[in-house]
Parts: sequence; structure tokens; C-alpha cells
Amino acid sequence: MSNENSESVSPMEIDGETQQQSANDENINSVIIDLSDNIKRFDDELTMNEKMRIFYQRFFPYKPYYHWLNYETSPTKAFLNREFSFTLDDMYVRFQSFKDAEELKNELLRSVPSKIDIGAVYTMRPKDKKFAPPNSFKPIMKELVIDIDITDYDDVRQCCSKADICLKCWQFITVAIKIIDKALRDDFGFKHLLWVYSGRRGVHCWICDSRARKLDNDGRKAIISYLAMIKGGAQKEKKVFLPRSLHPSLERAYKIVDHYFTVLALEYQDIMDTPERWTKVLKCIPEEDIRKALNEEWKKTPSRSSTLKWDDLLQALQNVVDKNTKEVVAKKRADALETIKREIQFQYIYPRLDENVSAHINHLLKSPFCIHPLTGKVCVPISPDNFENFDPTKVPTVSSIICEMSQWNQKHPNASVQPGERKMNDYEKTSLKPYVKYFEDFVQEILKDVWIRKRAAQQRTMEF
Amino acid sequence: MSLLEQINLPKGINSRENNTGEVKLHRQYYPSRLNLYTIPPINEITIEEFESFALDRLTVLKEIEATILRNKSEGESKEYINQVLAQYLPLHTNSSSEAYSIQQERKKDHISHFILRLLNNKEKHEIKDQLRASSPHVNPETEVFFEVDFEKVLDLVRRRVVYIKGGKAYVPMRDQLALVIDEFRNRLDKALKDTCRALPEIDQEGQVMPILNQIDHQKSGQGYSCSKKIEGQITADDVDQLTEHFPLCMRHLHNKLQENKHLKHYGRMQYNLFLKGIGLSVEEALRFWRTAFSKLNDDKFQKSYAYNIRHNYGMEGKRTDYAPLNCMKIITNNQPGEGDHHGCPFRHFSEDNLSRTLYNAGVTDKAQIRQILEYAKGHHYNIACTRFFELTRGSGSKEQGMMAAINHPNEFFEKSYQLSQEGSLGNNATTNTITG
Repeated sequence: MSNENSESVSPMEIDGETQQQSANDENINSVIIDLSDNIKRFDDELTMNEKMRIFYQRFFPYKPYYHWLNYETSPTKAFLNREFSFTLDDMYVRFQSFKDAEELKNELLRSVPSKIDIGAVYTMRPKDKKFAPPNSFKPIMKELVIDIDITDYDDVRQCCSKADICLKCWQFITVAIKIIDKALRDDFGFKHLLWVYSGRRGVHCWICDSRARKLDNDGRKAIISYLAMIKGGAQKEKKVFLPRSLHPSLERAYKIVDHYFTVLALEYQDIMDTPERWTKVLKCIPEEDIRKALNEEWKKTPSRSSTLKWDDLLQALQNVVDKNTKEVVAKKRADALETIKREIQFQYIYPRLDENVSAHINHLLKSPFCIHPLTGKVCVPISPDNFENFDPTKVPTVSSIICEMSQWNQKHPNASVQPGERKMNDYEKTSLKPYVKYFEDFVQEILKDVWIRKRAAQQRTMEF
Repeated sequence: MSLLEQINLPKGINSRENNTGEVKLHRQYYPSRLNLYTIPPINEITIEEFESFALDRLTVLKEIEATILRNKSEGESKEYINQVLAQYLPLHTNSSSEAYSIQQERKKDHISHFILRLLNNKEKHEIKDQLRASSPHVNPETEVFFEVDFEKVLDLVRRRVVYIKGGKAYVPMRDQLALVIDEFRNRLDKALKDTCRALPEIDQEGQVMPILNQIDHQKSGQGYSCSKKIEGQITADDVDQLTEHFPLCMRHLHNKLQENKHLKHYGRMQYNLFLKGIGLSVEEALRFWRTAFSKLNDDKFQKSYAYNIRHNYGMEGKRTDYAPLNCMKIITNNQPGEGDHHGCPFRHFSEDNLSRTLYNAGVTDKAQIRQILEYAKGHHYNIACTRFFELTRGSGSKEQGMMAAINHPNEFFEKSYQLSQEGSLGNNATTNTITG
């Protein structure tokens, strides 16, 4: 890939303050300083569009972003032929492409899209698509992506619904990240996994290993089908069917599922509190007599907590085993009932993936470091060390970081730059800093890997 | 794959072998029945042969596809496919060479494969399914494992029946066929791409293209781009009344749409294309969906939904005029997830929900419900649906006892509508009137 670019592209110039600031920007800057005392006033006096402009001007991490999608420091097709799509006020523009980070930045400042989507790398520049001979414009590479959305858990969560989230239901996402991250690393050997908060109610994972980027649709479908367990629409209550012996990957996932089940399903979500909800759980048990007996019992004591009801359920399953005096039969029954128990646990806890997003190489996905148009939150990456502690309600918003920046500027009125000294980036003055730092480190790891592989390839050719 | 190199491939015996300088007719010799289709045929054939070879092979592939859909046991499928093969594409063993012209048979197999390649990438999936369906079970007691990149055994990965660690799959000897399939798939993939590029050159005289288009049409089966069965224009307001003729999948989507004032993406797609198939114009479709999504304001509707509706009608994007989905697609593609209402009730409903739905739709006899549930349980979704049709509408025509299986929701609609026009609805003792 790297050697294929024949274009001469001017070196990137994105860090320096080369951009001319329009009068409009000056105007906004003075507004920023005036409003620095509280976030609320920002929200009242700046339009979303104005805030977005400031974000694209001052905060968007162009340099690591470019290196990420380019997969090298010198220009490659990976960036040149990459599709970007913008959501503008009243329309959706597909097949945009840019020669470098500067061109991207200029366009972002010109059109101020409310959302940026990233698509595939194509055989030619997407913006030249209309000149392409028929059938020659084809997607050739893209990160494997995974989309997990909390609304897919609406039938098992009751703390929130629709687009709302709280720390209780966010736990579902935490479990999902843990299980999927582990499977992608251990089973498939992927290393460069970028988990990104989607700005409102879910997460995306960008798997950036070159092997993942090269997968065709069949490969993507195979992996996602390997990972997916919950199958069935609104008209099917039992959505998990486990084979008698669990695949090692599921065995590993089960440990995580089991660990979270008590707190998350039984305590937080209280999955058996009403007759309607406990019936859903009971429907996963094939034996009708067990279902009936438990239902009768719980009708008498409906206020028993889900934790106690779960114990009742396990006891009822155990009783069936104990009834069989023959050891061989008992063992078989015990296995079958253990499977039922696990199926229920899987159904309530195991990750729910939006398979269609992953299955097609040309599917678009919202870019990291977008601003969610409705929440104003920055789509920040989530570090693997921080899965457990990530709090979606505390993610910086476009307003909060502008406010933090202007407060910092006010506190440091004399922070002029001495010759030879690096000017402080605006994001470093805000709570966005750790996220950008993590992203930079992540991209460095990829570049290092690409470099090592290139060197190895060079050495091989020299040896011959 | 050194294994593959050892398999005898058809050899071209050509004029190079006699040095007389005179050009002899090219002939290919096929030493075995197994052909990996590496070398293209070099025989001359007539245009008629060209077409009939292709159509026969197509028939076989379609039957294989249908068999997969019916999900019969391996033995049953094999027996059935053997019958089809014997009729359309017989391939006898070398030992039966006296009774049959095995070289002719193999030539037909060879040439027809290559003709279908010309139909291009659309065909690829069917061949893949054929490969999948034909994988036999081998003795599981051997314990030798191959360590290969997981990309080589995607089918095993997809079904989660192979151990994977660090990007390597550990394939037991008994699953080595997966490796051969992958190798064949890759070769075919590459060959199809080459064919696509070479097509203009192959057809310089313009003779082949019309036939290919004809075959392509046969392949995709009957399209329901627009129904002519209904007199006059259908408007958005008529839909509600027409639901009595809808198959269960569409009636379910309609009811859920009325109930929730919303449908998720694939539900909208499945239902909108169906409505297009019964003759709703794009203007009326937009009006229908606008009215149904009553909780949305106009701006949101125009921004988020109108585009897709027009897209279905081929008015946006690639401008493909999409055909209404057939049962095969509804059953196998885009499996419904949380909150989805699309799909096939016989495939995607739990038993309880299906029997309740059937009851509400007028099948009140318990034995009849049980019979339909049995069909669905045995994966005979089309037969279950057809039975539902028979029980609620009579058996199609009075002369025939059993009607042919329904394979398309629009076919269901048209048959039901037609019957009502003939006035036969209500004559049948088991018929129940249905209220949407």
C-alpha cells in the first residue's frame, strides 16, 4: 500500500498557526472571552454552529487523526482514497475525500458539518467517483468496525429507555466492551483496537490492524457471526441457544457474564420484579412444569426481590436433578439445566451487536472526535485500562471545553510564546487532554507497527 | 495447497501434438468428474447449446438453493439433488463409461460453469452455497490439526465450530474440506473479476449479451416490479383495507407500524418494497409513510425517512429499481434483532407468538395450528405459509388439491386478491374472514 502513491503532496502543515483567522473568528474569540465565567452562558449565546466552528478550528486533533487514517507519516492512498461523509444542515454529502489534514481542516471550517462519517478506502479518490469507468470504483479496505448501542438492550433494562443512559445501564456497555475486546485480541490476534464513545448511548470499536482492514465482506460477516449470540427479533422471547459443550471463546465470555449477572441483571435491572418481566425469564425454560410452579409461587409473593427469585429458579432446576436417582441420568439432566441457566444469563448480559454495521466494508460510521449533534458531547476514545471507570455522563462537551479554554486563557494572560518554545495546544487547556493524549499514543503504536513491518520487508529484500 | 495441484484437471489436447501444421479442431479430455474449473473450455458450441447448458445448470443451482432453504436432513437433500442432477446435469463415473457418454456430460458441466461465470458476481453466492451444502461429514476421530490463518476457514469461524487463537484457526482433519472450499472460492473470485474485465472482448459480435440477459432474468425469477392484478390506482388510503390479502409478515409489519407509529430500517425496507409491488406509486408511498409516522414532524420525516423511501423506488443514489423481497431473502438476509419486526413469522416468531398470530388471523382449529407449527419447526417456512393460505382462503383453484408453495409475499397477495375477485372467498368451509 505504502509504496503505491505517486502523487506529490505538500508536507502537512497543521500544527502551526498558519490559518488566517477570519473576522468572524475574531468576533467569536472575543465572545469566548466575555462569556468565560460559566458554561450556561455559552449555551445561551453561541449557536451550535458557532461552537462547532470553534471546535474544528481549535480542538479537533488533526495531526494524529491524519496519521491514524493514513497509517504512515508520508501520504498514502489510505488517506487520499478514503471516503468522508458530512451531515450538513439539510443534507447528507457522501464521497468526500481530501489530500491531507490541511485540506480536511479547511473543508470542516468552510462547511461546519454537524457530523462526520468515515467510509472505506476506495480504488480511486472518492471525489473523482463520477469520472470512474463503470465498475471500477470499489471499496478495498476499511477498519473492521463494531457498533454497540444501548437501545438494543431495551427489553432487558428498565432504568432508562430509548436514547437515555445512566451509570446503571452503561454497565451493559462495559461488559460488552470487556467481552468483545478480549475475543478480538485473544482469538483473532488483533492489537490495534480503538474504542470510541458514540456521544450518546453506545460505543464503536475500530479494529485497525492491517489484517482487519483487508477483510472482505465475507470475512467481516464471519467474525461478527462468531461474536454474536443474541439472535431474534421482537417476536422471539428465547434468543440464546447454547450447544452442549461451550466453545472456548464463550467459556471465557461466560466468566464475565456470570460475574456481572447478579449485580447488573438482578440488582440494577431487577429483571423479575413484575409478572410480565418474570414471565420473560421463565419463557427461556423449556420445561413447562417448572415454569408453572415458579409462576404460581411468585404470584403469592410478588415482592420477593429478583435475587431471591433467581435462587428459587436455580433451586427448582436443582430439584429436577435430585429427583433422578440414577447417576448417569442425573448427570445428563444437570448438564441440560446448567445450559438453561447459562442461556438465561447470556440472554440478559451478553453483548448485542449491530451486525449490519460490521458486515459491509463500505458501511459508514461516525468518526471519533465528532460532536454529537444532540448532546454536544465529544466522541472520545475510551482507554482499555479505563473501561470500568468510564463515565459517559462526565464526557466533555463542546461547550465545556470552550469554557475551560477561555478560563485558562484568562488565568494566564501573559502566556505568550517565547521563541523556540512550543505553543500550548488549546485542547491541553481542557479536560479533552487525556483523550487526545490516549489517541496520540494509540496512533503511535500503529505507526510503530507499520514501520517495523516495513523494515522487516526491506531487510528481507536486501538479504536476497 | 499442493493437494489441489495433484487433482487431475482437464487437459487441452490440441494441435501442438501433431506437427503437420494443419489446424485441428480443439478438443478437451476430462479424466475425472471433479473439475475445479481452472482452464476455460475451448470447444465450439452452438448458440442453442450455450443457452440450454446455462439454463440447465441454473435449474440445478436453484434447486440446491431451495433445498438449503427447506433445511432437509443431509440424506434427504442429497437424494433429491441427485435426482435433479440426473435430469439436468448427469455426471457418471468412469466405470459407467460404456453406458453413458461421460465426456459429453463433463463437457456440459465444464462449459455451463463458465457461461454462468459470465453472469458475473451475482452468481458467486449461489456457488458458494452449493459448496457449503455439499460438504460431507467425515470421521471425527482423527486428531490431526492444521494451523491456518482464520481467513482461510471463514465458514468454520462463522459457525463458531473451530478453535481460534491469535488469528490462527486450528482445523481438524475432518474439516479439511473447508480449506479446499476456500481455495476454490479464491480462485473463482479472481476468475470472476477477470471475466468481468474480459466480457466486452468476448462479445464483440453482440450475440452473447442478449442471451446472458435472458438467463439473468430466469435466474432472478419472477419479479414483482409492478402488479397488474389490481384495477385502477392504489392510493395510500387503500392500504389498510387491502391488508386482508397480505401475508402474515406484511400484516405484522402493518400492525406494528400502526401501533408504534414507527418501524426500524429493515422493517421499512421489507414493507415499502412490498407496497411498491402491489402497485403503490412513489408519491402515494411517501404519503402513506408520512401519515403512518404521525409522531414525527415534517422536517424530521423528510430528512430521515423520505430519502430511503425514494431510494427503494430507484429515485436516489445508485438509482437501482429494487424488486420486492422474496421469501428466500426475507428468511435468510438481515436477521431481525432487538425491536425489529421484519422477517418471516414462520421463521422468526417463537412458537407461542406464532400460534397466537395464526389464531388471530383466523386459523382457530387447534389441529391445524399444530400442523403449521410442525412445518415451521421443520424449517418448511414456505409450506407453512402456503398451508396458512389454504386454510384461510381455500386452495387456490378448485381443481387442484394442493397449491404450489408460495415463494414471494407479493405472490401471496396477488393470489388472495384474485380469489376474492372471483368470489370464491367464503365458499370454502374452513375459510374465515379476516379483519386487519
